Amino acid sequence: MDFETLRQKLREQHYICDDQLVTTVLVALQLGRPLLIEGAAGVGKTEVAKVMAAVLDRDLVRLQCYEGLDESKALYEWNYQKQLLSIQVNMNRQDPDQLTRSLFGDEYLLERPLLKAIRAEKPVVLLIDEIDKADEEFEAFLLELLSEMQVTIPEVGTVRAKTIPFVVLTSNRTRPLSEALRRRCAYLYLQYPDVEREVEIIRAKLPDANERLAVQVAEAIHKLRENDAILKKPSIAETLDWVAALEALGITDLDQEAFRRTSGFVLKNSEDLDAAEHPPEEAEGADCGCGCGHDHDHGHCHHHGAQA
Amino acid sequence: MRSVYLEKLTEFTHLLRLEGLAVGLAETADACAILEALGFEDRERVRWALRAVFAKSQGEQAVFDRAFDGFFVSQEQKEAIRARKKAEAEEMARRQAEAERDLQVRGQPLDIRDDLREVYMKMSDEKREELRQLMERTKPNIDRSPQLYTNFIRSVFMRFLLEQQMLMEDAAVGVEEALDPEMALMVRDIGTFRDEEIPRATALIARITQQLNAELSVRRQHAAHRGALDFRRTIRRGLETGGSLYRLSFRRKRRKKRRLVLLCDVSGSMLQFSEFALRFIKSLSDVAESSRTFLFSEAVREVDAFSLQNMDAFRQYVKDSGLYGRGTDLGTALGVLLQMRPAVLDPSATLLILSDTKTIDLPRAGRALQEAGRLAGKVLWLNPIPEGKWPYVGSIRTMGTLCQMLPCSTLSELAQACRRLVQ
Repeated sequence: MDFETLRQKLREQHYICDDQLVTTVLVALQLGRPLLIEGAAGVGKTEVAKVMAAVLDRDLVRLQCYEGLDESKALYEWNYQKQLLSIQVNMNRQDPDQLTRSLFGDEYLLERPLLKAIRAEKPVVLLIDEIDKADEEFEAFLLELLSEMQVTIPEVGTVRAKTIPFVVLTSNRTRPLSEALRRRCAYLYLQYPDVEREVEIIRAKLPDANERLAVQVAEAIHKLRENDAILKKPSIAETLDWVAALEALGITDLDQEAFRRTSGFVLKNSEDLDAAEHPPEEAEGADCGCGCGHDHDHGHCHHHGAQA
Repeated sequence: MRSVYLEKLTEFTHLLRLEGLAVGLAETADACAILEALGFEDRERVRWALRAVFAKSQGEQAVFDRAFDGFFVSQEQKEAIRARKKAEAEEMARRQAEAERDLQVRGQPLDIRDDLREVYMKMSDEKREELRQLMERTKPNIDRSPQLYTNFIRSVFMRFLLEQQMLMEDAAVGVEEALDPEMALMVRDIGTFRDEEIPRATALIARITQQLNAELSVRRQHAAHRGALDFRRTIRRGLETGGSLYRLSFRRKRRKKRRLVLLCDVSGSMLQFSEFALRFIKSLSDVAESSRTFLFSEAVREVDAFSLQNMDAFRQYVKDSGLYGRGTDLGTALGVLLQMRPAVLDPSATLLILSDTKTIDLPRAGRALQEAGRLAGKVLWLNPIPEGKWPYVGSIRTMGTLCQMLPCSTLSELAQACRRLVQ
């Protein structure tokens, strides 16, 4: 696949991105390397994997990482109950050695996402989501899979990949990942889109949305993300939810009242809501930080009617 | 043509290594392969492709971009850079000549370290003028006692230059911020946090402690599936599954938790650091079986856990207690701890001191620390002064010989210290 084809296919999937992302994904595809995507929550990291599954016409196998995730949840597990039943049923019928050997066959193997991805007959897109939430031990275990495309199951031996999956790892950077893992991947750092691109995304995902409202929302979201006092920055999904909510309420102009009524769609905790509605006192003429996308003269916020 | 580009690429990878990026043969081979596939026509596309291969974090991306812009330049840019470098070299030569002329007494060069000479060269013209004027003012004393005069000038210059060196190092912190704001907060001096950055820093602490707690719980989970088999519990649990030993139980080691005694300096500049450090330590659910916290400046007060729940309550408590805005007297604080009955410090206790070691009556504080070390099981000192400055601070050198001192000037170092605390 060449650059133009990939860009075209991403657009067909309504994934709006810049040339840098297209180039990086292409690099990962051409080199057969996993793609490590870092960035703040909600910038569209997971979406890259989903879209790539559609672009490459492959199944998406997803492994959601969390604290304490281990091989039994990520790779495989023996169906212990079934093995026990089998022992009890066949105890007197079979040669004990043969019975033992039969217990470690495919019949008793519970495939988890990683094994499923490398044993698939057709290549898949493997999404290892939020790898930073998994422990360092698990990260070390992933190295064998990512570099050699094989895993070792003690009772079976080494399982080599039947097909090579396109691997996408995402991280919110809650902890730094190991150098060894990083070195095996092509790296992409995703940032929040600028106002124009966010408007494009709204247009692509919600084609019926009011054009003026889309611009207002994108500008407001941009301001909220720039506001240091807001801890949980609004994601792209939240932008779309907000536009959809405003549309559903029949609102065509994002004014103070509309912001107050619908701010719960973008700001999800009371401190952030408070910070957006009551920004700290700033210099005269400065933006009030409410996210409503207007400048305020003489230290007054026209929207809130309060002293800025 | 192609071989020329590949030769350039090899030179570029060498440059990246010099810039501190871990570039191996595998990456170079990948870069060759990708450039052959993508072509060399579009400069930005080449940049993005090489960046995906060579730079593996946001910080590395910034380093890569600088190196790329410096290496792959047009002829005009090359000329501009050459002219700029030439001007810089001339300026440095001028400053060096000035430094050689200024840094001498009675015709002899001043006995100061080379790095401080370099600081003198990089200092602003105003600052250098200050030193020149000082020398001019004190010149009439030169004949009265030449040796005394030389020593005086040397000590004044040394102190001034060390101060400038520290200021220059602190100023360089802003450069890291430009690379990656969030990670920069981790490696920046806690004392330099601005008010608007505190919520972000607090959120970072919560995230790191969550991670530390998770590491601990995973370690415990793993420990529960290892070691000697507990036959009694395994058989008893097996009864639930008709006698099949479906779930195995292992003997668990009895965990011996420590008692933690925290002694926090809340005088003046230490308040912010103590807040962050306490927040860190208190968030570690597994750090100790029980803990007692004492705040001190010239006096000492025990503080209850409720007062530490949020920063505003903590600041208010410190202000109401009368400790705020006073000097530091570690000797008195340790003396109070040592005399408390029932005893606060015993072999099961770990004494954790959060202070910058700047205290009145250092010898008395040293003696009290020695006594505390004798009574407590372990004494750890979390010091907010950057480790690079320790050799210049006499009190750190003294206290460092009496207990284990850990650098904690940044959130990253604080996290490392806390990790050691729970291990």
